Amino acid sequence: MRLKLGHTACVALLLATTGAFAQSKPVAGEVAEGSLKGKTLTFVSYGGIYQDGQAAALKEFVDKSGVKLLNDGPTEIAKLQAQVESGNVTWDVVDTDDLPPYVYCGKLFQKLDLTKLDVSKIPEGQVGECSVPAMNYGVVLMYNKEKYKDNPPKSWADFFDTAKFPGVRGIDGSGSPTGGLLEQAFKVSGGDPKAMTVADIDKAIDVVRKLGPDTIFWKTGAESQQLAESGEADMLMMWTGRAMTAVKNGAKYAPAWQDWLVVMDQMTIPVGVKDTDASYALINAYLGKHSQEVLAEQTSYTPINSEAQPKVDASVSAFLTNSPERQKQGYKQNFKFWVPNFAVAQEKWSALMAGN
Amino acid sequence: MSALEPTTPSASKRAGWAWRPFALTAPALLLLVAVLGYPLLTIVLRSLSEPQWGAQNYVWFFGTPVNLTVLQRTFVISAWVTAVCVICAYPYAYLMTAVGPRVRLALVLCVLIPFWVSGVVRTLSWVILLQDSGVINSLLRSAGFDGVRLIRTQTGVVIGMAQVLLPFMILPLYSVMRGIDLRLMRAAQSLGARPLRAFFTVYLPLSLPGVYAGAIIVFILALGFYITPALLGGPRSTMLSTLVQTQVLSLLQWGRGGAMGVVLLVTTFVLLALAAPVMRSRHREAGRR
Repeated sequence: MRLKLGHTACVALLLATTGAFAQSKPVAGEVAEGSLKGKTLTFVSYGGIYQDGQAAALKEFVDKSGVKLLNDGPTEIAKLQAQVESGNVTWDVVDTDDLPPYVYCGKLFQKLDLTKLDVSKIPEGQVGECSVPAMNYGVVLMYNKEKYKDNPPKSWADFFDTAKFPGVRGIDGSGSPTGGLLEQAFKVSGGDPKAMTVADIDKAIDVVRKLGPDTIFWKTGAESQQLAESGEADMLMMWTGRAMTAVKNGAKYAPAWQDWLVVMDQMTIPVGVKDTDASYALINAYLGKHSQEVLAEQTSYTPINSEAQPKVDASVSAFLTNSPERQKQGYKQNFKFWVPNFAVAQEKWSALMAGN
Repeated sequence: MSALEPTTPSASKRAGWAWRPFALTAPALLLLVAVLGYPLLTIVLRSLSEPQWGAQNYVWFFGTPVNLTVLQRTFVISAWVTAVCVICAYPYAYLMTAVGPRVRLALVLCVLIPFWVSGVVRTLSWVILLQDSGVINSLLRSAGFDGVRLIRTQTGVVIGMAQVLLPFMILPLYSVMRGIDLRLMRAAQSLGARPLRAFFTVYLPLSLPGVYAGAIIVFILALGFYITPALLGGPRSTMLSTLVQTQVLSLLQWGRGGAMGVVLLVTTFVLLALAAPVMRSRHREAGRR
């Protein structure tokens, strides 16, 4: 009897510990040994050095969990929509732009169960209902040092002032409008971005349009880099990673950091994935300190784990956006405004892109 | 035993023979239905059914000025590209018929080798040539001229597209010109026609079918161009395919994207239907002469 009692207690204890183990809070960057053996996950992102860096950041997760990781891309919301609608979702974790997880939250992207992720080290205000950040970066004003010499542009107001600062401008024309840039343009037209209305989008776009027919709307990050390296544009709106690479390659450009636009990529789980927990495990590992260090070292994008201490050289750290000084200079777009007005803004922006 | 049967086919067997050509084309027909017919039908349906059943997407298309501007521009650019291709390809194709086999081979290779290189690569080479700090502008500047803006203009797009599409003009032209008996020119001249007159009354009409065939292929391919205008053009040379891309990939408006595609398709058909009688009458005229 005593033996039996002891036995039961033992089993109970064992159950209790495993139960506690299963319910214990996840720790960013950790995954149980062999826990995903035999499973396959498809991770989707934007390719290039960025996705290579992400794959490197996930290597430890792959080795430890035993999962087979497939990389696919580039992320296209239309493709994801087609998958969700047909009920055949093959993308398990998707890296997206700033806004889509907010615009399509619950429709294309799952609402996240935050008990399955350790989000404690993510900078404040970046965890969304359907997303956690994948990395931080900036949209920064780069100017040609040789053109402007002693009187360089200092802000977006100077960027939009072609009388005081003549020269060709280059703007992100890769697809969606950048909310932050339109807010800065609206400010130039005399408005208050915090009180922006739908009708004000036109005013902001008019400011961009007034830059004139010479304005270059670059289609890809690579193109923006090429514009800097060949000196085609005198002032360029650039992603920090591309700006860093261009300067490294000898482009005679310098950043004007005042009001650089804070942007990020998002990690999401599509609606209808086959193994939600495996997707959560991947994201949780990705958020870890070590993973984020690897990512930053390989891509020069800013890690989103506040404890990460990437070892980077001066040329890279000059373009990281997480120093206290940069954090003070950054400009955050009015998310609450852009999410519901995404389609309207996109349509007006597309009309500008089409030369109307 | 059966091998000894008479080889004259019976009536019923002859009826069976008539179906053979169709049976042989079955794989092609199936492929056409599967990869062209079905998706096209889906596009038409989605343009009428999303977000609800009705003509809303078409109402939107024709009610939005930017769409009409871009549609018109798409046709104008394609017409320019076709014109440039005809002007460049005609003498080239003629030269191909006039030279010996070895030179002809070299000329054919000059057409085909770029044809085998991906359009993206060729377009990127044009970026290097046309950009403000590119080869053409550096040459102009070193010769003491002002630079010209070529990239991000309609001119740049037309140049790039014409180069990509040139083989589609040269090859049909050449195949028609090859069949023209050059002795006809000599006959015309022996009857007193000057070389130019002989060319315009004899050679040109005979070569027109090749011009039409090439022009139609080039024009239709140009209407759907995406990569070249995207890389070489600016906002003022955006073509319809870019707008379709925005609607479908950025805004998830499959219905609107579909409507744009259908409008482009129907407009193209209408233009071809209008052009067809002209071409046919010219053919007949050429035949009569």
